[in-house]
Formats: sequence, structure tokens, C-alpha cells
Amino acid sequence: MSIEIRKLSHIYNEGTTFASVALDAIDLTIQEYCMTAIIGETGSGKSTLVQHLNALLLPSKGEIQINDRIIKADEKPKQLKALRKKVGLVFQFPEYQLFEETILKDVSFGPKNFGAGEEEAEQRAKEVLKVVGLDESYYEKSPFECSGGEKRRVAIAGILAMDPEILVLDEPTAGLDPKGARDMMQLFVDIQKNYHKTILLVTHDMEHVLSYCQHVVVLSHGKIKRDCDVKTFFSNVDDLKEMKINPPAVIRLREALLAKGFKLDPSLLDMEELAKQVAKEVKR
Amino acid sequence: MKNFALGRYLPIDSAMHRFDPRAKIAAMLILMIAIFIPAGFIGYALIGAVVLLGIYLAKMKLNFIWNAMKPMFFMLGFLLIINMLVVKTGTPLITVFGFTVYSDALSQTFYIVVRLVLMITITTTLTATTKPLDLTMGLEDLMSPLKRFHVPAHEIAMMISIALRFIPTLIEETQRIIKAQASRGVDLDEGKLKEKIMAILSLIVPLFVSSFQRAEELANAMEARGYVPDHQRTRYKQLVMQRKDTMLIVFACLVCAGMIALAVL
Amino acid sequence: MNKITVRDCTFSYDKEHNAIDGISFDIEAGSYTTIIGHNGSGKSTIAKLLIDLLVKDSGSIQVDGLELNDENVYAIRSKIGIVFQNPDNQFIGATVADDIAFGLENHCVESAKMQGIIENFAAKVNMLDYLNSEPTRLSGGQKQRVAIAGVLVMNPEIIIFDEATSMLDPQGKAEINALIHEIHEQNHLTVLSITHDIEEVAGSDHVLVFDQGHKIMDGKPADILKRKQELIDLKLDIPYALKFVHALQDEGVNIDEVITMERLVDELCQLKSAS
Repeated sequence: MSIEIRKLSHIYNEGTTFASVALDAIDLTIQEYCMTAIIGETGSGKSTLVQHLNALLLPSKGEIQINDRIIKADEKPKQLKALRKKVGLVFQFPEYQLFEETILKDVSFGPKNFGAGEEEAEQRAKEVLKVVGLDESYYEKSPFECSGGEKRRVAIAGILAMDPEILVLDEPTAGLDPKGARDMMQLFVDIQKNYHKTILLVTHDMEHVLSYCQHVVVLSHGKIKRDCDVKTFFSNVDDLKEMKINPPAVIRLREALLAKGFKLDPSLLDMEELAKQVAKEVKR
Repeated sequence: MKNFALGRYLPIDSAMHRFDPRAKIAAMLILMIAIFIPAGFIGYALIGAVVLLGIYLAKMKLNFIWNAMKPMFFMLGFLLIINMLVVKTGTPLITVFGFTVYSDALSQTFYIVVRLVLMITITTTLTATTKPLDLTMGLEDLMSPLKRFHVPAHEIAMMISIALRFIPTLIEETQRIIKAQASRGVDLDEGKLKEKIMAILSLIVPLFVSSFQRAEELANAMEARGYVPDHQRTRYKQLVMQRKDTMLIVFACLVCAGMIALAVL
Repeated sequence: MNKITVRDCTFSYDKEHNAIDGISFDIEAGSYTTIIGHNGSGKSTIAKLLIDLLVKDSGSIQVDGLELNDENVYAIRSKIGIVFQNPDNQFIGATVADDIAFGLENHCVESAKMQGIIENFAAKVNMLDYLNSEPTRLSGGQKQRVAIAGVLVMNPEIIIFDEATSMLDPQGKAEINALIHEIHEQNHLTVLSITHDIEEVAGSDHVLVFDQGHKIMDGKPADILKRKQELIDLKLDIPYALKFVHALQDEGVNIDEVITMERLVDELCQLKSAS
């Protein structure tokens, strides 16, 4: 499933004195079957961009193509619901969207909205609950009885149950403790590999970008500043500084040691490798 | 929401904006009483003139007032019909299909309409020229003598000001929830009744749940910062009555007295 | 004398299992203590117990020698300020100035004096230009700064930060962490920070590790953070510097177990020049 964005602009409050350009003529092709990080400071246009992917927002200018469907500006497209099924969007703090009496019913809600029958929806719900690590004991529980981390997994299951081809996750680890965050990221890596999905990850966490993503898109003031693979992204430290991005620890350590005269491979991104090279330097 | 003038604040500067909210509220209440004094046509003309003066001082456009009245039209039309059916006093005017409309029906409706128009104009003038928080403060001060009768003036004012503070936040949150549920296929336009009910529930339940949690966290924050509802506290924003404010209230009283005089004569 | 003394404190939300189970610890005046533990370990609960937002079932809590009970509640609340996690749900005023004023109003400060105090503390947290701003126009970091000012105006001796940065973006986190350190150093306040940020723990004076309502570890970060396997078992993180030290040790390098990046770089430079 492919998504192509061509000269897409989005202007909030168009035509009024409060008009603001959130996205400015963006060109972007979403890389399939890998995990792409979408990075940018608050206000850079990340949320706006991401909401175009499932047609929650429509372009002010330009167009977006999702598979064969093209959505252009100034059109009033119908049948947007089908798009919502293909691109599953998980908002920040998704636990706030839970509302049903039981977890099973909440997770079945999505599939039912897209035409699944009661039994089919429940079956799907049970499958995805297993994927996110919640067993049968959770089926009849009220979502409000659970811990924050569990609630979040229920919410994510709710989107997975719709079987989207593309999963867009807006800061899925926000507010989680470190182990919770790691488990959540591992879940997405597994989903991406086992179910052959495309995953877009809006994130601020550079450690996650380095550890889990293959591709990076950087947004700034509504424009795309970088669109490249992860290795290239992290290769130029000055570049990162200029974009006000705090590099992952391994890069910070590498740079600090390089500055002190250590002879190291300046493109090192792996901690064990760095340790090996530093060990050599120190044992000499 | 753009044309919903009733209750809306106009963020401009005018003579009326600069009066103390307590004076405006008091004057409004006094004028409301004056409206109900049966002072005949001249009386209404007098109050009408006062109200027009108020509109002028508030730099409000008549268009704005018209929009404030719009919600009432249907009701007033209905009222006219009821009166025409029910009131059988006065001189008969016309007869239609064997049914007679009497003059008193028209005159009574007319006076009701006039009173309603005056009341709506006065309240609209008040809310258009007084910020919601200033109104709350004014109300709190005016209600505080009622503390003797166990009216929790301060607590009511605190609740109103917190509610006002959170309205924009709640609107944002509602929009977020709508989008989140739309991403799960919620479509408020289509679907059978049952589906629509589920759609609405999917919006309301999360809002309620988050509001309860918000209320608890807010209460904790307030207590942690030393808030105790029935303890004495000072206030950062002060309201200062100036001579012109006192004169406004006195003026309203004079108008009321004038109405009483007209009624008696 | 210790600033805060907790002895055998127990508390339960639902009368079935204890959220806090017989916890004891001391907090030294002027120290920067971090409290870590997985979600549900009792970290936030203990913060609320310290200011009586929750009432302990048993045990004793003393602040500055004052026993926490019904008589002393307000006196103790005046000594302790707390900044919560959600920037919106502790912003009470309609504007920044109104919100900072809230604490002053509660403590019956003279109205005439308030403006000066508000401006002073707004400046301390770099929000002087935003006095008339409404909360919807502010970022999370800005709102938390206002929350901190709102707490500082009451001249507390102790400030508790209950995961105050966990809902902020990196920029907001950095701002607030810097501000917390500034307050700790300049105002000589006792700081209690409930956090997930292991690097913050590495930079603190004292760390308490909670697990399922119990205090599992209590001591200096340099000692506690070296207990790698225990921390991993408790589902906690260890600082990057320490992870790197272990990787180096696996490569046969004899290096001290340091917990901050700066010390790691220093140690490595020393080892390099020695070899």
C-alpha cells in the first residue's frame, strides 16, 4: 500500500485573519513495510501531516494519493471511511478514547464500524488482544479498571483490530516508564515484521529512532527538512545540532571521545562496537 | 456560533465596558423591575429611551441586538396566536371563519413583546460589555451579603470561574476525541439509530471520564496550594467603585421611581 | 534534623492491598532526592501522603519535626509545594498572573502586594512576558513553569515534583529540569523528584527505589545504580554511562563504575593517558 504526497499544503482558518500555514507544499513518499520516524518540534506540522493520511484533514492545496485514491484540495471527497480502515491512526494518550463496558467490546468497536458482524469483530478483538499481550482474563474487565499501560495497549488493540495496512503512531510511549516504553516499541517492531505492515512513528525519542526505525522524515515550520534513512540521518552531528535534535547517547559519547583525541570510526552507531574500539584505544 | 449574540462578550472598548460590573448588574436588576411596573405607553417609551442610550454607550450595533432576539421570534409568534385564541376582552377587531380577534389580545401581546425586547436588550448589553470573569466577580461580591443565609457565594463564583477557564480546554479535548473515534470508523452522519447512539456514547463517555479525573487532579492541586473553601481569602483582582458607577445605580433607581410615579398618576 | 521523616507508613486505596506498605525513609534538608519505581509502585501515593491529600492508614510522617496530623495539616502544606504531572490540570487561573496569584489569595496576602510578588516570581521562571496569557496559548513546558512559580510564591521549604516532566516534549523537559536544578541550588530548597529519568537520578544526591508499595533501595545514586541486575529485575533502567562501562568491562577494560557521561569521559581520558 503506498502513500504519495504532492505539494500538499494545509492552512488552518483559511481566509480569516487567523490563517496559519501548518504544512507548506510538502512532497513525500511513505516508505512501505518499514518503520519511519517523523520528527519535528511542537508546531512543526507533524500532527497535521499525520491527520491527512487517514483523511481526518483535507488538503488546502496539493494532493495526497493513498493507493489508487487521490484526494485533491477543494474537493469534497465522499467515502472517506474506507481510508480510515486502511490507515490506522493512534493518537497520543490513546487510553482517553476508551469508552465501552468491557475491553472486548471496546476493541470490537472499530471492526464493527467497518461492517464486521458481532462474532467476527469479537474474534478479531481476541486475536489482537493476544498480540498486545493481554490474555482472556482481560476480556470482560472494564477498561477503566486497568493500569495506564494496560489501557494504552487496549486502545492500540482497538486500532489494530481494524487491520490497517499502515499504522501511524503519535508518540506511543509518551508518559510510559522505560520498561513500558521498550515493551511497546518491541510490540511495534514485531507487528511490523510479522504482519508486514508499514509503520509511521511520530516521536521525540532519538534512542527509539536509532534502535527501531529504518527511515526518518524531519519536519520544521511546515516543510520537510530531511527525508532519508536512519544511518544517513545520524551521520552528520553538526546537522543534528542545527536542527536542535539531541543525538542518542551513543553519538554523544562518541563525539565527546573524538573531541578528546580518541581514534574512533566517526560513523559508529552501535554501543558494543564503540566499546570495542574504545577498549583498544585504552589498552594500548 | 457567530450569530449567537445572546450572552456573547464584545471585546471592544466603550463607556459601558468601563463601568464596574457590580454597578452594571445592580442597574440591570433595577431596570428589570422597572420594566414590570405598569406605567403605560409613556413608561415604556421612557425605558426604551434609557435602553437605547445604553446601547449607544456600549457601541453595540442594532444588528447585534437583532441577532440576540432571533431565538425569541418563534416563541413570540406562538404567544400571539395563543393570546388571540384566549383573550376575549376589549373591542372586537376582525372576525375570521366565525372566530373573533379582540383588541386586548393584540395589546397584551404587544406589551409582552415590548417587555421581552427590553429585557433581552438589557441583558445583552450587560453580557456584551462585561467579561465573563468580571461578571463572576461582580456576582460574587453582590451575593456575599447572602452568606448569612448560607448562600455559598464564593464557592459558586469559584466554580463558575474554573468552568470558564476550562471551556477552551474542553472544546479542544472534544475535538481530539471526535478525531480519535473517527479514526475508528465512527461516522455521525451515517448508520442506524443504534450505531448513532454508540457513536455519541463513544464521545460522551471519554469526556465524562476525563472530566472526573481532571476534577480530582484540580482539587488536589488547589488543596495543595492552600485552598480551603470556607476559609478567608484575599483577592488578586480588585473591583473599584467609582463615582460614575454609583451614579449609574442612582440613575437606574430614578428611572424605576419615575415608572412608579407614572403608574400612580 | 531531617527535613522529612517517614516511619512505617501504610496506606491502601481499596482496603484490599496496600499501595504503601510499611515504608520508612529520611530526607535531609537541602538535598535533591529522586524516587523511582515502575508505575504502580507507590511513588505518587507517597507524595500525596506527605501533604495529606491522602490520609495514611498508619505510621508517622514528620516534616521539620511537626507530626502530620489534623492540627498541623495546613502548617505542613505551607512548607511543601508540589508540582503535578499534568500541566493543564493544575492550572487554575484564567491567565498566568491569576494562576500564580491563587496561592497568594489562599494565604491571605494583601491584595496590594500581589502584583509585585507575581511579577517577581514570573520573572524567576521566565514567564514575565506572558502574565496575561491564557493557558490554551501556552506550551506544556510553559504551563509547568507557571506551576512552579505558583508553588514558589508561597515560599515552601520543600518542593515535590511528581513526574513533572513526563508529559512534556524534550525541550520542555530540558527547561524544567534546568529550572529544578536552579531552584535547588539558588533557593536551597529540599527537592523530592518522582521520576522515570534515570539520568536525572544519576545527577541527584539521594535515591529511593520503590516496588509494589515497598522501599527496596535507599542510598546514593553512585551505589544504587550499580546494582544492575536488581534494577533490571525491577523493570528499571540504568544510566547509559553505566551500560557502557559494563560493555567495556566485557572487553577487559578495568574501569570504575561511573554513572554520568561526564565522569565516563574523564575516566576514559585518564585511562588513555595512563596507557
